[in-house]
Parts: sequence; C-alpha cells; structure tokens
Amino acid sequence: MALPRWFPLARKEAVALLKSKGTWILAPLLVVWGYGPTYISWDLLGPDVTVGFVQVAGSILLPLCVLLLTYRSIIQERTSGSLKFLLGLPLTRTDILIGKVVGRSVGAVLPFALSAVVLGVIGGVKFGLFSPLRFIGVFLVTVLYIAVLVSIATAASAVTTSTVRVTAVLFGGFFLLLTLGWKIVGVRLYSAVTGNAVNPLSPPADGLLFAILRFSPGRAYRTVTNWILGLANSGGQYTSVATVLYPGHSVNEYVVDAAFSGQPVPAYLHESIALVVLLLWGVIPLALARYRFNRGDLA
Amino acid sequence: MTPPAIETDGLSKQYGETVALDALNMTVAQGEVYGFLGPNGAGKSTTINLLMDYIKPTSGTARVLGHDPWNDVVACHQRVGICPDRFETYESLSARRHLELVIDTKRADDDPRALLERVGLVDAIERPAGEFSQGMEQRLALAMSLVGQPDLLILDEPFTGLDPHGVALVRDVVEAESERGATVFFSSHVLGQVDLVCDRVGILYEGDLIVEGTLPALRDTCDLSSDATVEDIFMILTDGSARATEVDA
Repeated sequence: MALPRWFPLARKEAVALLKSKGTWILAPLLVVWGYGPTYISWDLLGPDVTVGFVQVAGSILLPLCVLLLTYRSIIQERTSGSLKFLLGLPLTRTDILIGKVVGRSVGAVLPFALSAVVLGVIGGVKFGLFSPLRFIGVFLVTVLYIAVLVSIATAASAVTTSTVRVTAVLFGGFFLLLTLGWKIVGVRLYSAVTGNAVNPLSPPADGLLFAILRFSPGRAYRTVTNWILGLANSGGQYTSVATVLYPGHSVNEYVVDAAFSGQPVPAYLHESIALVVLLLWGVIPLALARYRFNRGDLA
Repeated sequence: MTPPAIETDGLSKQYGETVALDALNMTVAQGEVYGFLGPNGAGKSTTINLLMDYIKPTSGTARVLGHDPWNDVVACHQRVGICPDRFETYESLSARRHLELVIDTKRADDDPRALLERVGLVDAIERPAGEFSQGMEQRLALAMSLVGQPDLLILDEPFTGLDPHGVALVRDVVEAESERGATVFFSSHVLGQVDLVCDRVGILYEGDLIVEGTLPALRDTCDLSSDATVEDIFMILTDGSARATEVDA
C-alpha cells in the first residue's frame, strides 16, 4: 500500500521539531513536573501513584509546551513564504493540515514518551511495580491529548492572518481560561447561568456544573485518566481527587462520587463521555479551520 | 490534441477596491518558453499565485495543462514545478531534506545530489538552509522546481538575488528544460534578461496584458530596429495609456 500523499510533509514536520533543542528540553521538565507523590495518593493507589505522575506530566506544562511547539506551524510558513513550496506540491490543502497535525504530534509525543519512561523507571524503583495496563492506558490517552492540542493549535494557526492574534487566542483564551483557569471560570459560568452559588469544598450534586467543568479538554483528559487509574469520576489532578476521597480531608476539587454520594449520577457524566469530549476537541476546531483554509487566499 | 500549458479566460483578482488583475486572457502553448513581463505591481505574481492556487480568483477561469488549477490541485501540481517569488526556505532543514520533501511527495525518483549539481549547490547538500545566502536559497528553490521532470515549469522572478553566474545558470536550466520538452513560464521585471531565452513574451501593465508576441514581431509593431530590447518595447508601449494590442506570432 502506498503511503499517504501527506506522509513526506508529516516527516518533515516531525524532523524539524525533533531537530530543535526546545523540543527535547520538554522531556526533563516533564519528569520534574510530573514526579510528586503524596502520602494520601500513595495510600489510595499504592504503586499506581507512578501512573499518576504521568497524568501530572500531561497537565498544564505539557499543553503549554505543545501549544508553543505548534502554534506557528502554518502562520509562520505563510508569513515567510515557505508555504508556497507546500501549496505547490501535489497536495490538497486538507493534506497539508493533516500532514502538519500528524508530523507535529509525533514530534511532540517523542519527548513526552521519553519522560514517561523515566517517570515509570523512577516510580517503579521507589514505589514498586505498578499496573502496566493502567500505565499504558494513561500513556495512550496522553498521546491522544497531545494530538488534540496539536490539532487545535494547527487549526488556529491555519485561519489566522497574524502571529499576534493566534498567540492571543491560544495562550490567552485556550490555555489560560480553558485549560489553566477553567475550574474557576467554569464554576463562575455555572453560577451565572443558574444563579446558584458554589461552595468549592462541598459542591452541589448538579450534573450541569460537572458537565461545564468537563468541557475543558484538560479536565476531560484528567477525567479519562482518573478513570483508568480507578480513582474517581473527576477532572481534577489525581492527588487532589485522592484528598477529597480521603476521610477527614477536603480540598477544593470537584469529584462526582463525593458530590453525588449515593444519588443517581446522570449518564452524561460517565467518564467515557469525557473521552468523546476530548475527541471532539481534536476534530471540530480542525474541521472548521479546514473549511476556511480551503477557501482562503494564502499568499 | 494537447491542451495549452496555460489558458486563462477573463481571469480577475480584486482585493476590495483594488484590482490586482483585470480579466486576463492568455494562452501559453505546450513546449514554449514564455516570458511574462512587466513592472513591479503589474499583476505578474497575482497571476502566478492564481495559477498555483495560492489564492482564489474573483472571477474568470483558468486551465493548467488541461486541469482546473483550484479544484484539481493534486493532478495539476504533479506535473508542475514552481520556483516561487518572495519565499524563505526551512532554516533547520538541509538542502537534501528540502529536495526529499518534493521528491517523495511527487513520488519521483530524482537524486537530490544530481539536482543540486545542476544548480551548482551540491557542496551545500547537507548544510541547513538557514545558513544560505539569498542566491543559494534561489538555487535551492530552482532545484526543487525541477523535481519529477515537470511538464510545466513556473519560475516567478527567477533572477532575483542572483549574481551574473546565477543568471546564466537560470538561462541554461530554462534552455535545457525547454529542450527536454517542458513548457517554461517565467515572470520578470528585469526586462533585459529575457531576450535570450524567450520564444514569446507578454507584457503586463497595471493588471492588463497590453501586448503579446515574439520579440521580432513586437519590434515591428513598435517600429523599432532589430537590436531593440524588451525594455525599449516596454517603454514605448507603456508611454501613454495602456492599450490592448494583439500581435501575431
């Protein structure tokens, strides 16, 4: 079977990323960022805390760096004129978007994979053998999350006409509000819509609140990985979720099991739906961008 | 019957109120070397951008080697080689990587080394393009345009940034490609350099093709002696209002 037409472009994108030092600096940073056992999470998860390290590595720092590695991928080529080479090749504009997303995803996954292996070795030595299935599961969901982030950043990069604008949208909007600050922004949004005040230490058993929180790709990612960890139904970091579950402790994190204690949980709050949310984030922005990218003037 | 290499019918491009190209009707036969001339801002790059699907037309149609250039991009670009104007190369990638991208995407079997030899850049094959001078970038782009023995070679301002050796090299490449049977369509605002290579020229002025034909025919039209250059023809034709002139080739 012949390779897809966009394969050489994807390879070029991956090579360009892997040749830059910035990409590989990500690996040690993620190890330092991800490693952080707590007594409570060790008590609840045992050796599987190591799997939790991978989740922490995948949160905040990883999305920030993946956006940094991707956000200029098309606008930069457009400004410099090198896009004329790509557009001159026997590729559709959709091929160009796919090649960019696949290539940059591979380029971003490799340093993350390296850091996951290092975290696995450190964690395995210090805390004993973890469940390999859970480790691989969280690893694969993180790979998916990386691809979703690359897809979002590529979409933004494809439709913008200025680097300043794509920077504002991705880092001010997507990263700051939707990824880093969504626990605050989402709850405010919920309160504004419903008029209900929310006590973060004892959130109401309202499906809408949790659905809004889960809209954030970062929280959807953690909902799925907490599910794989067998911890609880929550978009919070596993250490916070463990603290909420631990008797006599509380922290401002939103955990479905704790809020709904005993009451029926709406079906749309099932963890598998968070996986769907993540997939939609990977597809919808890119599809919208493709619509405009296919029709616009690019030189 | 083979379709023309390039055929446009009422091809127009407007940016808001600004008319960049006004109803261009142009036919370039397969196998000819066509010099697309005119001052900066005349619409030459707009035309090439349209033919290469870098931009979409406001109105009008075009055919490139019989293909719709906007809806049949893959089949069209498989047979076209482009050396664009105002581009940068990928600074972290070597000359070899640049060529491999084009060779593999076109599924051609060219040897990057042989292509770089043709443009005098083989010594820099493993160097990242970020270290290249403008002239070297231009040579690399020319090598990229030659991949896969294109039926149509589009060179947008190919003399830009080249020293006299580079200019001679472009002429040699154009001649060799033409002998191979390829159509060469190139734009230039440096009028003096085209006399030697073109079968036919078209002069674009303020978004209009004001004249088209072989150099001897153009000289006759303008009542000029046989040693008159394209520059002289251009000065006469653009002195006063731009008028549409069709010259029999």
